[in-house]
This record gives sequence, structure tokens and C-alpha cells, in this order.
Amino acid sequence: MRSFTYTAPTSVADAVAAIASAGPQARFFAGGTTLFDLMKLGVERPSALVDVSRLGELEVIDTSGDDHLVFGASARMADVAADPVVLRDYPVLAESLWRAASQQLRNMATVAGNLLQRTRCPYFRDELYPCNKRRPGSGCAARDGIDRGSAVLGTGDACSAAFAGDWPVALLALDAVVDVVGPRGERTVTLADLHVEPGDTPDREHSLAPDELIVRIRVPVTPAGRGSTYLKIRDRESYAFALASAAVAVTLTGGGVVEECRIALGGVATRPWRAYAAERAVTGRPLSAETARAAGEAALAGARPGNLNAFKIELGERTVAEALRIAVERAGR
Amino acid sequence: MSTAPARVDARAKVTGALRYGADRAPESVAYAAFAVATIARGRITGVDTEAALNLPGVRLVITRFDPDELTSPGFIMTGGYGFQSLQPLLDDRIAYRGQPIALVVADTPLAATEAAELITAAYEPEPAAFTLDAPGAETLVQAQAIPIPMFADTAVGDADAAFAAAPVQVDVEVSGPNQHQVPMELIGGVVEWHGDTLVVHEGTQNSGAVQNGLARQLGISPDRVQVISPSVGGGFGQKNSLQPHIGPLAIAARRLGRPVKLVLTRPQTFHQASFRPASRQRVRLGADSSGRLVAAIHEIDQQTSRHDLFPAMYTEVSSRFYGIGAFRGLQRLVRTDVQTPGYMRAPFEHIAAYAMESAVDEIAYATGRDPVELRLANDTAVDPVSGLPFSSRHVAECLRRGAERFGWAERSPRPRSMRGPDGTLIGWGVAIGAYPGSAAAAIARMSAHDTGTVEVAVAGHEMGQGIRTAIARLVADDLGIEIAAVKVGVGDTRSAPQHLTAGSWGTATALPAVHAALRDRLGVPRTGPVDMRAAVAATGGSRIEIEATSVARGQPADVVVDRLRKGLLAIAGPEYPEFVTFSHIAHFVEVRIEAATGRVRVPRVVSVADCGRVASPVTAASQVRGGVIWGIGATLREQSLVDPRYGGFLNPTMEEYPIPVSADVHRIDVDFIDEPDLLLNPVGVKGLGEVCMVGVSAAIGNALFHATGARFRRLPVRIEDVLPHL
Ligand SMILES: Cc1cc2nc3c(=O)[nH]c(=O)nc-3n(C[C@H](O)[C@H](O)[C@H](O)COP(=O)(O)OP(=O)(O)OC[C@H]3O[C@@H](n4cnc5c(N)ncnc54)[C@H](O)[C@@H]3O)c2cc1C
Repeated sequence: MRSFTYTAPTSVADAVAAIASAGPQARFFAGGTTLFDLMKLGVERPSALVDVSRLGELEVIDTSGDDHLVFGASARMADVAADPVVLRDYPVLAESLWRAASQQLRNMATVAGNLLQRTRCPYFRDELYPCNKRRPGSGCAARDGIDRGSAVLGTGDACSAAFAGDWPVALLALDAVVDVVGPRGERTVTLADLHVEPGDTPDREHSLAPDELIVRIRVPVTPAGRGSTYLKIRDRESYAFALASAAVAVTLTGGGVVEECRIALGGVATRPWRAYAAERAVTGRPLSAETARAAGEAALAGARPGNLNAFKIELGERTVAEALRIAVERAGR
Repeated sequence: MSTAPARVDARAKVTGALRYGADRAPESVAYAAFAVATIARGRITGVDTEAALNLPGVRLVITRFDPDELTSPGFIMTGGYGFQSLQPLLDDRIAYRGQPIALVVADTPLAATEAAELITAAYEPEPAAFTLDAPGAETLVQAQAIPIPMFADTAVGDADAAFAAAPVQVDVEVSGPNQHQVPMELIGGVVEWHGDTLVVHEGTQNSGAVQNGLARQLGISPDRVQVISPSVGGGFGQKNSLQPHIGPLAIAARRLGRPVKLVLTRPQTFHQASFRPASRQRVRLGADSSGRLVAAIHEIDQQTSRHDLFPAMYTEVSSRFYGIGAFRGLQRLVRTDVQTPGYMRAPFEHIAAYAMESAVDEIAYATGRDPVELRLANDTAVDPVSGLPFSSRHVAECLRRGAERFGWAERSPRPRSMRGPDGTLIGWGVAIGAYPGSAAAAIARMSAHDTGTVEVAVAGHEMGQGIRTAIARLVADDLGIEIAAVKVGVGDTRSAPQHLTAGSWGTATALPAVHAALRDRLGVPRTGPVDMRAAVAATGGSRIEIEATSVARGQPADVVVDRLRKGLLAIAGPEYPEFVTFSHIAHFVEVRIEAATGRVRVPRVVSVADCGRVASPVTAASQVRGGVIWGIGATLREQSLVDPRYGGFLNPTMEEYPIPVSADVHRIDVDFIDEPDLLLNPVGVKGLGEVCMVGVSAAIGNALFHATGARFRRLPVRIEDVLPHL
């Protein structure tokens, strides 16, 4: 860990001004659960931290609106997971949060910081190894190494590190957007446009500029929330990242036919991954074991395994199928 | 009878008041950190410390000690004191990745850490080997490489001929991964000089070895070294000897004239301390058509380091599981470029049981016999290796009682025949475990006061296993005084010579000494309550102090007491002159495999242990639960990942090394035979802390077979192994 300067601005405007004046090595800092870790590992070496965790205006949780659920950027994962409306009407959101990390971490970590967390590829987290994401052009130690955790979708020659988060996967399934403020003003970015595939520049993981502050996340109100789930398969029952996960939300017609279907995958892709083909495979049909399996296969079609992670294809298919079963059951209640 | 609290230190633990070694913060303490090697084998050609030295707050950077300042402590298994013989910072050789290349001492932990990060080195790397089959890994036959009877291969009868002639044969090869203990308390301590006396506060299971080892390393008298291990926040074998950071700290503290504290980082504890070596175990079992076992051959390859031979002792236990008349063991050691591996809870027995008890399960299926019945039919009261009787052996009762509690009779034997309503695959498995019953010499000091208070100081370390509670309770029960009147001092070289506390023999060793001292000095009858106030008053003083020495059966008293005082191992067993002692256990396990996703869960375990007398029921039951949980982790979760291109361990943190979490743990029913083994010691205790983990993996593996019809040969069994068998 290296020395750095620390400022705690008291407004969004001050925060944006502070980051702009602190130079390119400055970072916003919220719960610190990603950033401090990476600083201790020497992967992140910010010259300045701008603390946005105590900006009251960013901590708002408003689930009363008719159009959107609104989550301030610095709302804590634990608080959003415990919101009564989220718990009752959007199990996919609640489950994606409380199945992440641990209660202690969720008490610290913010919902915006969660969007920008970095991969858990072990080679990324230790300076000893070549890693195109950490040191562009240095190579990829995972490619011929222990790539059990790597992605099978959205992979690239330079990097196949899996995106680690859960909540962004659930948000993607629900077509959420983020509102961003920067020196050049305010803009809205869809979740689908927020994260990017590694391509030739795996060090670039999202489409925000370093001086842009996320101020809130908005989730369109949808009846599909009630028929939803976030199913996460991992190496232990808690406190582990996903080997494969699926966020699924559905609505049914009176006759039990799937009317609307949203499916996104975690653990198996280099970014939160929307599975449109899988959605089409079930939409307009009643869910059977066969259609669920077909959706799973459609979701993983085109997957490219490495040395040790081929199992993620079958696991991903099964996870999608099982999540569909749970979501449809909930939608039918 | 005393009204015993569950644990004498429970309140202090829960409130955070309990003190650990590195909690000590003496005035003007300085903080140390290590810079470490980024190659796994070769030579250092230069270390650049300039940037580190220029950092504000940095007081000292040391890259090399003089040979007359610091020497090797010697390897604990060859008459030394260190977890390995190699002492870093003595020469230019690099023997494993993560080996310290410089010690930094600074005014703050932050400055020390930052300075350590700023240190770079140039190397001449050499090819290195990390796995059993890697090119360059060197395989030795242990019996030839370490020609000492204790490490010889067990052999009884002509096992090869008996196996060849057996109508039913199974041949099982399993492999066990590298694993790490990952105790909550990191390795670290505080070192300070009080005049000419070196005082060390460090969480260790062996303060006697730390004391004597430091004396050897620094060339001073052991009388001038005091080691205090107030409480150990988990050791599990990783803290059973002198760690190589303490000697350098002592020299740094002397140079600076300040106390120095060092706490290794979590990744450093994976690379600078011992761990479970990888091993490969091949077991061939022969039986007659009724399932009577007639031959066993057990061959092992076990990893060790380049610089030390960590002896394998798998066949000592596998030869004693059943009454098999012909047994042959072969233990090989494979040299690789790692720090020296060592004892990790149930070090040999856990994986040996996985191999043996999987093979026994296969014999049961091959002969169409129920796995419990088959085990009962092969039980023995006589040790098949020595021909001596077991001092006690209640395997049959463990199996019977466990089967009853588990509801084993309801089991449908055919694999894949038990399912839940949602298609969940259900498997029930059984296995037994055994662990050698050791004993060691001990010196106990006791002072009894006319207030009725009794202070006991004895060899032993409080590692969370509850030794203070167990001792306090036994003393209180024996004397008929309140448990609150008993003050127990352990882990302190100032109060009594400290022997290694491990291998379950801590309690078994300490208690007889306490008893002997007490009864002899007070001149009270062998049993029954003592009126302490009156008994002390009768001696004519307000307080009496006594010391007593005890040795294990068959131990030559003068030799072992001398070893004890020198901080060397002074252990006897499991073979004693007239008997052989093992602790035993039977585990019954239910696994459930989610049909949709292949997730394996262990909803139910029943474990019945034969550990002699149960010294402290609450801590004993919690020991067993901990052992079972560890068994679940060792079978389904834990592996220290090795990338053969780089060496070291790839997942050296708590979030990446998957020890089980609470959500992985379900119902664990524990029961005890609770029959004192009075041949082994007058209290009748055998060990419990290790045996409780032995056989858990095999019971889970056998349950997985029952659920899926597949045998899993490689631990841990992960979701990708199970998916093809849904
Ligand atoms: C042991 C462990 C286990 C975990 N397990 C899981 C898991 O299972 N699933 C999961 O999803 N996550 C998991 N996490 C990740 C955790 O959820 C994230 O670390 C956390 O959500 C990040 O939030 P934070 O507020 O602490 O972010 P910080 O660490 O403060 O910041 C993270 C990044 O976001 C940026 N940032 C923060 N706020 C803003 C903002 N308002 N605008 C722009 N940029 C911003 C920072 O500059 C930084 O780059 C785990 C973390 C740990 C340490």
C-alpha cells in the first residue's frame, strides 16, 4: 500500500470538481471493499481518493415511484437488500445482493461501487503474473494456467477473466440505467452499455470516464420482478463468487404461457451477459423441462471454454434452466 | 462436584478481552515486514533496498545475517526446532517462492509494508518442480532415505502373496491436494529484550521449541529466553515449531534497542509456514468371498521440500484399521521446490483413511455385504502389527451406536436408489477413523493455597481446543473444589517446561502429571474429594508449592525429561511395552446432490467417538464438530492451487481458499463411548482433537458413491466432478 491524499467533499458538484483537479490517478472511493483490497495488493495505486460514501444525497433508496426504483449510488448493498419493496416485488434484486460477499461487506459496500468491482481472476490480483488487464501488453497467465474461474462467453485473445459481480447481472436483466455526473454534465447510461467486453483493451472494463460519478441507479418498474430469481452456483454456500449464475424474470399469461422473459448470466461471461436467444426460446410457450433446457443451451451457445472451465457450459445451461423453473413458479403464485 | 462452565475463557473470548501474542503493544515498539522472493528456485544476485531505506520512518533493512549472528534452528523432525531447517536471510539461495529476501523495520506498520514493497531483487532462476509428477521432482524411498525404525514401512506377513491369492480384490488410487490450515490468528509475534533476556510473545503450539530453538539460533542460553503463548487463535499444526521470522526479529530488536512486532500477511502465511503436502495413495485390498479382509498393500508418494525430508507416517494407522493378517506399506518422499510441508490436522490419517475406507467400501459392494456389517466382521481386539492388545478399542460400539442414531437400517444399498421427491440424489456412507494415542513426559507445577485456590502450571497450549477448561475441570472434579478456584497456566516457559501441544496428546500428557503431583504432595487418598484449606493448613503453611514429573509408559525417565527441558519432542506411542493405543471414531454421512445443478450438500452427520474418558463434554463435542466440518472442507472444498509454471500458491487468501462457511454446515450429532482408558494414563483420556476428522472424507466419498454410482479419486470433489454423474 502506498501513500495517497484523501478528500471528503460534501456535495456531488464538489466531488466532481475534486476528482477533476486531482488528476488521472485519482479514484472515487465509496465502501472501499474493492479499492482497498486492490491497493493492498498493489494492483491499484491511486494518488488521491475522493470519498463519496458520506454524500447524503447519494444514499437515497426510493422504491415508491410508479416508473422507477431509485437507488442512490452510495446506498449500501445491505440496505437495498432489506428494502421491503425490493424483497417483496423484486426477489432477483434482493437475492443478487444477499448472495454476494458477506453481511459485513454488504454493510460497507455500495451499489454503485459494486457495478465497478473488478475481476477475481487470481492472476490479476498478484503483480507476479503477466496480466493484460493489469499491465496492458504483458500477456495472460490464465490462458495456459488455472483458468477454472474464467469466462466462456465474451472471451477475447487478450483476456477471458470473468466478471465477478451479481447485482449488475440482476440489473441488466431488468434493463436498469445509471445516471452519471461529470465535468461535462449529466448523462444516462444503460446497464447494457456500461460494461464492455475485453477485446484488445481488457484494462478498460466500462464506458465511464475516470472523472464521471455515478449518482444513482434506476430500475424500471415491472411486474416481471415478482416472477424472478437470482440463482447463484459457487464453490461454497456463501461468501464466494459465482461459478455460474442466472438472473431470470418472467410474467405469465393466465394460461401459464411465458409472456415476457428476461435472462442474464453471471460467472460465465467477461461482462454481465444478457441472453436474448434464451429469452426467445421460452417466450410465448409454457415452460417445460425441455423448453427450460433449450433456453439454457441457447444461453450458452457459442461458449468458448479454456483448459479447466468447460464445465461452466453445462453448469450455466443447468443454472438457467433451474432459475427459469423457480421464476415461473414464483410468477404463477 | 463442580458446576462447570462450558469454557473458563468463554467470556473473555466473546468480549474480545482474550489476549493473543501479537496483541501485545509495548512502548516504542517498531514494526517489521518481509520482502519476498518472486522466483521459486535459484540465486539472488542483488537486492535493491535504496528506495526502502529512503522512505520516512524506516529504521532498518536487513538482507543478510552473519553466520555468527544467526544460524539454522534445525528441522523439528531431525532433532531441531524449526518447521524447516532453512533459515532465510543467511545466504543467496532461494528455495521456494515467497521466501523472505529482506527484513524491514519501521516506526509504523504502513511504512514497513510500503518499504517492503519497494524492495526489488535480481535473480538467477533455476528450473523448479512443484507437483508429484513434475520433471525435476526427486522421489526417494523413505525407509532408505531416513533409516530410523520409527519411519520404517509397516509390514506384516506376506501381503503380496495373500493379495494375489485373494478371490476378491480392489485397487484404489486417490490423490490429496495441498491444503493450508488458515487459522484465524495470523502468524506473528512481539520480540523484546529485557536486559540480557529475550522475551517473545507469539501464538505457538510449542513455546518450548521456540525458546530452545532461539537460544540455539542466537547462541545464547535457553535460560535467557522466555516465550509466552497466551492463547493461540488456531494452529492445527501450522504453529507447532519455531517460525523463521523470530530469530531475525530478535536481532533487529537488539540493534534498534526497541521491541519489534511482525505479523505475516495472509498470503505470507501460505508461503512461509508449513502446510499439508500433496500425496498419492494406492491401496490394494484382498478379501475372501465373505468379505473377510486378508491382505492390504498401501503405497504412498508424499511431497516434501528440497531441503528437508518430512517423514510420511501413513501406514502406521492404515495397518491398524482392521484385523488384517497381511499388510505391506511403502512410503516414498518426493522432493519439490516448496517450503517444508508439515503436520496439518490429522496429517496422515485423514487421507490414509480416505484411501483405506474407500477400498473397504468397494469390498463391501464387491461381496454384497452391508458396509457396517463388513466393518464389524473385520474388527479386532489385537493390534495386527505388534500382536499386542489394544489398550482400548470400541470401534464396534461406535459403529453400532452410530448406525442406530443415523437410522442406517433404512438404507437401500443399491447406488442411485435413494432420491428425494424433486429428484435429489441421496447417498448414505460410513467410514471409521483411527489416530495414534500418544503420551509425552510432562512437568507440572502446582501451588495450593489455604484460601482453597489451586494454581496449576503445566505443559500445554490453549489453541481454542479448551485445554484450560479441561484441566480446570479435571482438577476441580478430582479435588472436589469449585472450578473457579483452579487457575490454569499453560503456554508459558517461565512457569513450566513447554512441550509441543499437538496430535491430541496435550491433555493426555498434562493431566496425569497434575494428578500425580497433587496426590503425592498432599498425601491424600488416591480418590475422593480433598478439603484444600485443611490439607494446606495441615502442612503448616499458607501455601505449598510442588513439582512433579511424569513420563509415558515405557519412556526412560532421565532421557525424556532432559529432552523435555531442551524443548525437543518427547513422545511415546502408539506402541507401548504391553499394549497399543489408538483413538477411534465412526462417521455416518448423508449427502444430497441437487439434481438440477449438481450442488452437493451434507445435511446430516452422526459421529461416535472412542476417545477414552471425555474430559470436558462441551469442548469435546465442539472439537468433534470442528473436525467433521474440516472433513467436509477437505473433501468438498479445500485446495491450495499450484500453477506449475510459477510455484507458490495461487489462492492464498480467505476469500479464495474455500474453507467451509456456516451455510455449508448442517446437523452434526456427536456421541461418545466415554470409557476411560486407564492403561494409557490414570485419567483415562485418549486423544480426540485429531481422530474426529479422520474418516469424514471417506464417509462422504462413500455416500457420494451411494448417491451417484461413481467413485471420486481426487480430492477435493468439486461440482465439475459431480456434473457428469447426475
Ligand atoms: C471477500 C469479498 C467477497 C465478495 N463477494 C462478492 C460476491 O459474491 N458478489 C459480488 O457481486 N460482489 C462481491 N464482492 C465485491 C463487493 O460487492 C464490492 O467490492 C463492492 O460492492 C464495491 O463497493 P464499494 O462501495 O466498497 O466500492 P469501492 O471499493 O469503494 O469502489 C469500487 C470501484 O468503484 C468506483 N466507484 C465507487 N463509487 C463510485 C461512484 N459513485 N461513481 C463512480 N465510481 C465509483 C471506485 O472508484 C472503485 O473503482 C466481494 C468483495 C470481497 C472483498
